[in-house]
Amino acid sequence: MAERASERLLRLLGMVAYLDRHEDVPIEALAAQFGVTPEQVWADIDTLWVTGTPGYLPYDLIDFDATAYEQGVVRLVEARGMTRPLRLGGREAVALVAALRAMEASLGGALDDERAAVLRSALAKVSAAAGDAATAVDVDLPPTLTPAVAHAVGDAVARRRRLRIRYVDARDVTSDREVDPIRLVSEDDRSYLLAWCRASQGERLFRVDRVVEAEVLDVPAEEHEAPQSAEVFVPGDGDLVTLHLASTGRWIAETAPVEAVRDLPDGTFEVDLRVVQPAWLRHLLLQAGHAVLAVRPPEVAADAAALARAALAAYGAGE
Amino acid sequence: MAPAIDPAERLLNLVIALVNTSGRMTKQQVRSSVAGYQEAVSDEAFERMFERDKDTLRDLGVPVLTVTDSRHGDDVGYRIDLDAYALPAVDLTAAELGVLSLAVQVWQDATLRADTTRALTKLRAVGQGPSAGDLLAGLAPHVSAEAAFGPLVEAVQERRPVRFTYRAASTGEVRERTVEPWKLLARRGGWVLVGRDRDRGAARSFRLGRVQGGVRVQPGSFEPPTDDELAAATAAWSQGPKRLATLAVAPDRAAALRARAVPGGADERPAPAGRDLVHVPYRTTWELAEELVAYGPAVLVVGPGELRHAVLSLLRDAARLDGGEGA
Repeated sequence: MAERASERLLRLLGMVAYLDRHEDVPIEALAAQFGVTPEQVWADIDTLWVTGTPGYLPYDLIDFDATAYEQGVVRLVEARGMTRPLRLGGREAVALVAALRAMEASLGGALDDERAAVLRSALAKVSAAAGDAATAVDVDLPPTLTPAVAHAVGDAVARRRRLRIRYVDARDVTSDREVDPIRLVSEDDRSYLLAWCRASQGERLFRVDRVVEAEVLDVPAEEHEAPQSAEVFVPGDGDLVTLHLASTGRWIAETAPVEAVRDLPDGTFEVDLRVVQPAWLRHLLLQAGHAVLAVRPPEVAADAAALARAALAAYGAGE
Repeated sequence: MAPAIDPAERLLNLVIALVNTSGRMTKQQVRSSVAGYQEAVSDEAFERMFERDKDTLRDLGVPVLTVTDSRHGDDVGYRIDLDAYALPAVDLTAAELGVLSLAVQVWQDATLRADTTRALTKLRAVGQGPSAGDLLAGLAPHVSAEAAFGPLVEAVQERRPVRFTYRAASTGEVRERTVEPWKLLARRGGWVLVGRDRDRGAARSFRLGRVQGGVRVQPGSFEPPTDDELAAATAAWSQGPKRLATLAVAPDRAAALRARAVPGGADERPAPAGRDLVHVPYRTTWELAEELVAYGPAVLVVGPGELRHAVLSLLRDAARLDGGEGA
């Protein structure tokens, strides 16, 4: 997709301000600084060179040192008054500050001292640059990872070491395995560790928030022949389950991956869910019992109700 | 015909012209002198091009001012306010810039990613050296926001009242609300707007996920809340003090809870027969209760009483699930 003019404009303005602060920047360094290819930088410099104030005579234009340019080095000699970096827009500032605060809330405890300090100072500087915008949002999210696990997983991926993990699956079954990490993957609002599982002799995805213990072993991770894992996230064909809910169950329609929502005249509503993991649906029903008016097929509800009765019986026995 | 000038190049020429103009530039001066506008084939085409460019620049945070001059009658001119243009003095280390690149990945929504990317592009200008990659890249949290988020952020910042259609959770009632938006809160379960509901004349909270359709900005502005009003309105969304749950856990079960366990301190109750006593810190009773019910009989709450009641209440409701419609 072609780049939008507004995004390119911001980079062009940013480059002039950056080059005003840094003399003699190699093309490759400028490309790395702005996260684009060297070819794009050449094109950007060529564009900057022909822009300026009306008249567009040589002294009206943004200008670079031609000799340095031929050697792949950018030296700004005339900025036409564009040396100041552009302020952050209101929405931009809020989006950035909120994202950094979310990182601090959910990763803060999991970072080593050095990274935690960098995150704090970045947040402080951006908040200062954002001014009032920073007060428009308040982020308070629970931590998703335990510090030790985040540390070990990050370290093993970076240094290509074998990991020993204790993993809890959706059915609350715990297993200890040795895995050769491949990489971290973000999908569906979650972080996963893609790794070669030595026990099952295949590539597996582990939800990082279900890794309860992790230890980096002093063994290099082995490379394994495996089909490309690009199709790991093929959604399952799961069973279709319909819940008839009272209005107090509205949060289910808002947070669960529902296929369809039908509002009924009496203020109640129905949702269709595609259920791949029975354990997930059972948990949902246990949380939402008060709002559930009916479940189709009914066997699904019997499963959750039986577990609830077993739990109530266990409480009774303990009293 | 000369080759078409790239829109980014035309926009840059417009910015440089409006920054450097001695007083102001009229539309006609822009059309005749700024490179890129000569391509407009008609008056209408020029008008559309100029208006769109002006909107684009303002959207990017470039302060394009409208200047009227009594000597020129109603003739309107434009210039860029260079003092309002500039970012406050700030410089970022390469490592800090690396953290900011990660922040872009936090957002699940294309619009907010685009907003964050723009902020990053601007801040790259004040970064020292290229940003370093970070090992924790794949561990960054993921945050979603509803379509209402963008317009509400702007309304909060500009202190503009808004109207939207909202479905109340308790009753399911769908109604128009007119709200003075004070602040947006990110919480587990989604974004929340707190503000003054004009029809009720009192502070209210609104879940963004329950806003239906668009957010319409209303004319006028509003007085910001006092610190006390804002604190009272957001209090319900603050997490409680840290407490300790005492749980009786079946052997080999609930490894996820065990991983969060801490020493029990003063609590030295004996473990029930065949179970381990596990102490887990928490802040919000209903959040932990909703987590614990998933374990069924494998995890029982010993205390505090409030948490035990919350779990029992969920279990009693769930136990009736197969008792027929509406039981």
